[in-house]
Formats: sequence, C-alpha cells, structure tokens
Amino acid sequence: MSDILELLVSAASSGCIYGLVALSYLVMIRPTGIINFAVGEWAAVGLFAAFFLLTNRWLPLPYALALIAAVAFTGLIGWGTQRIAVRPLVEKGAPILGPILALLGMLAIFRESISLIFGPDPHNLPAPFGLRQVSLGPFAGTPRDFFIIGCTAAVFVGVWLFFERTVWGKAFEAVALNRKAAALMGINLRRVTVAAFVGGAAIAGFAGVLYSLTAPRDFLMGLPLAVQGFSALVVGGVGRVEGAILGGMILALAEQLTARYADQIGIPSGMSLGVPFLLMIVFLLARPTGLLRPKEAAA
Amino acid sequence: MTSVISRRLFGACAAAAVLAAGAAAAQDTIKIGVITDKTGTAKFYAEPVTEGSMLAAKIINAAGGVLGKKIELLIEDDQNKPDVSATVARKLVDAGVVFILSNTSTTATQQQQTVSLETKTPQLTPSNSGETLTTQIDNPYFFQTGPLFSYQINTLLSYTRAKQYKRVALMTDNSELGQLVAKSFKAGLEKAGVQVIVEEVVQRGATSAVPQMQKVRAANPEAIFQAGVLGPEMVLFFRAYHQLGMKTPILGSYNLSIPLYLTMAKDLMDGIVIVDAYDREKPEVKAFEEAFQKEYGRPAFNLNAYGYDGVRLVVDAIKRAGSLDKEKIRAAMQATKDFPATIGAKGMKYTFPPGKRTGFDPEGVVVRLIENNAHGRVVHAGQK
Repeated sequence: MSDILELLVSAASSGCIYGLVALSYLVMIRPTGIINFAVGEWAAVGLFAAFFLLTNRWLPLPYALALIAAVAFTGLIGWGTQRIAVRPLVEKGAPILGPILALLGMLAIFRESISLIFGPDPHNLPAPFGLRQVSLGPFAGTPRDFFIIGCTAAVFVGVWLFFERTVWGKAFEAVALNRKAAALMGINLRRVTVAAFVGGAAIAGFAGVLYSLTAPRDFLMGLPLAVQGFSALVVGGVGRVEGAILGGMILALAEQLTARYADQIGIPSGMSLGVPFLLMIVFLLARPTGLLRPKEAAA
Repeated sequence: MTSVISRRLFGACAAAAVLAAGAAAAQDTIKIGVITDKTGTAKFYAEPVTEGSMLAAKIINAAGGVLGKKIELLIEDDQNKPDVSATVARKLVDAGVVFILSNTSTTATQQQQTVSLETKTPQLTPSNSGETLTTQIDNPYFFQTGPLFSYQINTLLSYTRAKQYKRVALMTDNSELGQLVAKSFKAGLEKAGVQVIVEEVVQRGATSAVPQMQKVRAANPEAIFQAGVLGPEMVLFFRAYHQLGMKTPILGSYNLSIPLYLTMAKDLMDGIVIVDAYDREKPEVKAFEEAFQKEYGRPAFNLNAYGYDGVRLVVDAIKRAGSLDKEKIRAAMQATKDFPATIGAKGMKYTFPPGKRTGFDPEGVVVRLIENNAHGRVVHAGQK
C-alpha cells in the first residue's frame, strides 16, 4: 500500500512536467493552429538560463528571482522565435506547415547553441531540497516532488483564470473559434499570436526548470520532453487547459504503473517505454479530440 | 551498361585515391586518423580520450617522432552517428592516413570497420569495451584494447566471490551502450550461477526511477549490478535509491568510473564499488598525469589515458613495421607483445594473443571504492 502512495507522488510530479509541456503546446495551438515542436528546446533554454543566473560568478541571483528571470527570458526567446520564424511566413500567406517546419529549424539552432555555450555535459540545477523522503498525510515523496506539484498547480490555476476570466483570454478563444470573425470584431491577430508564443515559451521554460529538478540535464533534453508533452496533449485534448494536465497525469501514471506492476500480469516491464506511443495511437484512433472537448463542441 | 561505366569510374576514382594516398604518405609527416565525437551524445566520453591521444602525439614528436618523421593527427568528428562515422573514416583514408584511431562509441566504431576492412587500413579502438567488436565481422585490420564487458563483470564477480551472491538485480538504461553492457553482464552473472531476479531499465528522458527501484526493493536482491551509462538516468537511479532508503550494495560498470558522474550525482555514490582500468599508484600513471597536467593545466583522469595509450600503441607498431606500408603496420600491430600500459592494473601489458585482436589483459581490470565523493582506492584486481 505504501508503495502505491509513493508511486502516486512520483507519477504526479512527472505528470505535472508533462502537463506543463502540453500546456505550452496548447497555448500556441489554440489561437494559431501551429504545433511547435521547439517546446522541448525552449524548456532547455529556460533551464540553462536558470543555471547561468544561479551559478555565474558575476551576479548570482537569489533562487526565486533567478527562476522568474529565466522564465521571463524564455518568454523573450519565444517572442523572438515568433518574430523570425512565424510572423513573416504567416503574413506572406504561407500554409500552416510553413511555420511548423521553420520552427523545427529553430529547434536545431537552440539545441546546438546550448551545446556550444554550455558544452555537452549534463548540468545540475542547484536546488534547496534534500533527497530524504518526507510524508504529506499518507503520501510520501521528496520535497522536489511536492515543489513541482505545487508550482504546476499554481501555473495551471493562473492560465485557467486567464482564459476564463480575462478579456485577453476571451480574445484567444475567439481567435481559436474563428480567426476571420475575430479579426472583423477588432481583435488584433498579430498581438494574440505574439502573446501565445511568449506565454507558450515561458511555460515551456518553467517546465524545463522543473524537469531539471529531477536530474541533471544536457542540451539533448528537449526531444524526449517534447514527445512526452505531445503525447499528453493528444490524450488530454487541445481544447481545454484542464486537458493538458489531465493528459500529463494519465500518461505519467500509465508509464509508472506499467514500470512497476506490468510484469505481475505477464507484460515485460520494458513495455513502459512504449506506453506514451501506445496511448497516442489509441487516442488518435478512438478519440482524436482527446479526453476533454473544447467548450463550443460540447455545447 | 551504366553499371559498367560507373564501376569503371569508381575504379578510376579508387586508383586516384590510392595515388593521392601514396603521395600523401611520401610527405614528411605520418598521418594518423582520429575519429572522435565533438558534438553528439558520446562527446563527454570521446573528447577526453582524444585529448590523451593529442598529448601522446605531442610527446612522441618532441622526442623526434617515428621513422625520422613527425606524426600528424587528423581529427574528425562523427557525432557518434554510425553512418557519419563510416563517412569520416573514408575521408581519413582518402587523406592518406596509415592508421585510424576510433575514440567514439562501440556502435560508431563497428560501422567504421566496413571502411577499414574495405580499404585495408589498420584501425584501433583504445577505449571501446563492446564484446563483439572483433568477432562480429572478420576484419584482420581491426584491433581493440578497451577492457571488454565480460572482463568487467568477471572482475566484479571475482571481487564478490567471498560474499557468494545468489540473487541479484541488474539495472541499466535504454541507450545502445547501456543495453550492450547489461547483456554482457547478464551473461556473465548467469554463467557464474548467479540468478538475476529483477532486471530494470530507466529510459532516456525519464523523470523518475521510483517505480523501478520499488520493484528492486520488493524483490530484495543481495546486490544491484548497474550497467547503465546515461548521466541523468543514473542520477535518477541514485536519487530513488536514497529516497527509498535502500541499503543494497551497488556494483557499477566502468562507465561509472568517469568522474563526471561524481559531479552529477554528488555525494550519492559513496560506498559503491565500480570497475575501472586505472590505478593512480602506478608509476606509468604518475608520469602520465604529470605530463597531462603540464599540457592542459588540469588533472587527468582515466579516459585521457586510454587515448594516450592508443597513439603510443600505433606509433610502436609503425616503428616495428619500419615502413608506412599499411599491411606491414597491421602485421606489426597484431604482433604487439608486452607493451607497457598506462591503463590497467599494476604491471599490465598489452598483448594480442595469436588469432585474437583484443589486446587488453583480462587480469587488468580493477575494482575501486567510491569514498568522499571521489574515486578511492583499488580494492581488487583481476578475475582470479
């Protein structure tokens, strides 16, 4: 029994990271339709920026400030990426595949730049947490796990409030529903796109920081994270903010439960490696919109 | 028809390449090709090896070179990608190298062999441990002096013989190398009558190793053999081990002897034993470390010494061949006997036994204890 409660905490903290990456995709896909696979590299940018801000010898920042600054910096990178690889193509009327491919190119630039600046070794983000397991009610996990879960909850509540309670959020939704009509109603499409990319990048950067709390990471960290986040998005659906975290949690639970218990029912535990892909295939076939549908479709 | 033409064209090109190679060989340096990984996943492993190679070349040249000529290292980056690896091997052969030193990973080295076999260019990997590098294809031009995985596991088993383990856990990651090491480890354990009761994989990019370690804890093995190589995933393993309050002894492959792991998994590795092929008490190592410190301004570690030995072995073969004829150099390399090694246990020497192209002494592997977040003393040597 205590095993499963331990496992739930570990899975929840992994699920939070996947969910944040899924959210980063979602924030961009909703208004623009662009699937940006560079989110993994943005996560790496966030992490390495935080690493630099915390450990540089000129002006090492306090912990919280460094994390916030790193996330803000990743947002800035998101703006720049959008300016270089998205806007020119969209304004010249390129089909949606144009920016998606351009962003794949940007991905390589980010990855190699990080490798050039920081070298190939995995970097350990300093963290003010011990490794000893602590209990929170019946649940047991490391302080890192609880920190990851708490931070992610805060981000999701914030983003949910943004979409549900602010005019800007409504503008995002309007653009997602019908670009042309939204533009005719006076919504500035360009601004919405900029906001989507800045927000998406900041979320990805934060996901990267949390991801590196689990283990040191190197410049190649982006791809597995982007794949996991995308699988979570497919499971949860691109329609609603809640879908991203739901997808992340389901994915992480499926992965870790398979790793732990699958061989007891005769499935080799190595199968857990295939769980994200299996889930993705099942959902694409059976429920391509993901678990949670967008509100307008439900209505 | 086209095939005939292209074949002729190919023949002509090959002839031109041979002429070019001949011309290059006639110049006043002896070219040795080095394949390393400057940008890919094996960089952390390949580049230190190559640093050692460069140091050896410098020392040899300062002492007058070989056959009255200086040696020149032509260094190529293969990004640890097997296809790129074969391409750069061909590029090196076209540039007229008389020998190729393969410092990247086992899988890349395997692919380079297609080129060394076809172009009859002698090739040596000073650091790869892949079990089947010399057996998968019959390539008389290929040599290996890294400590084979089977030597590593047998040395660990020899070290633990007194403890008489019967039921153990085997951990690894899903990298190609990690899988290869695990396979060899499992074979060695089973051959010794030790049962692997739980076998777990931490996949690349994972965020937790808690499920795997829970399983290990539940199975209650007498020891954990760690065959993994990926840094972050090893850290997940060590963190989960400590988080779950486990006390089971850990025995690691020589991959864990790379000091980088001590930085990544700071203070998490104390008390574990690892396989290594490096003994800092050896006089050869002391001389090497001094030279390395002088050249690079920082201390040397085991990987540097592999590359250092590689160039020394190649130059020794060229010297004994007495010519730049690749066939003669190959024969001289095969005849290498009792060449004193920097790597390995005290007194270790490289020898290629007749009919074999693996030159690492099976008794040359050592077991070291990790203490105070540093690679500590040698606690055991050899397989006996």
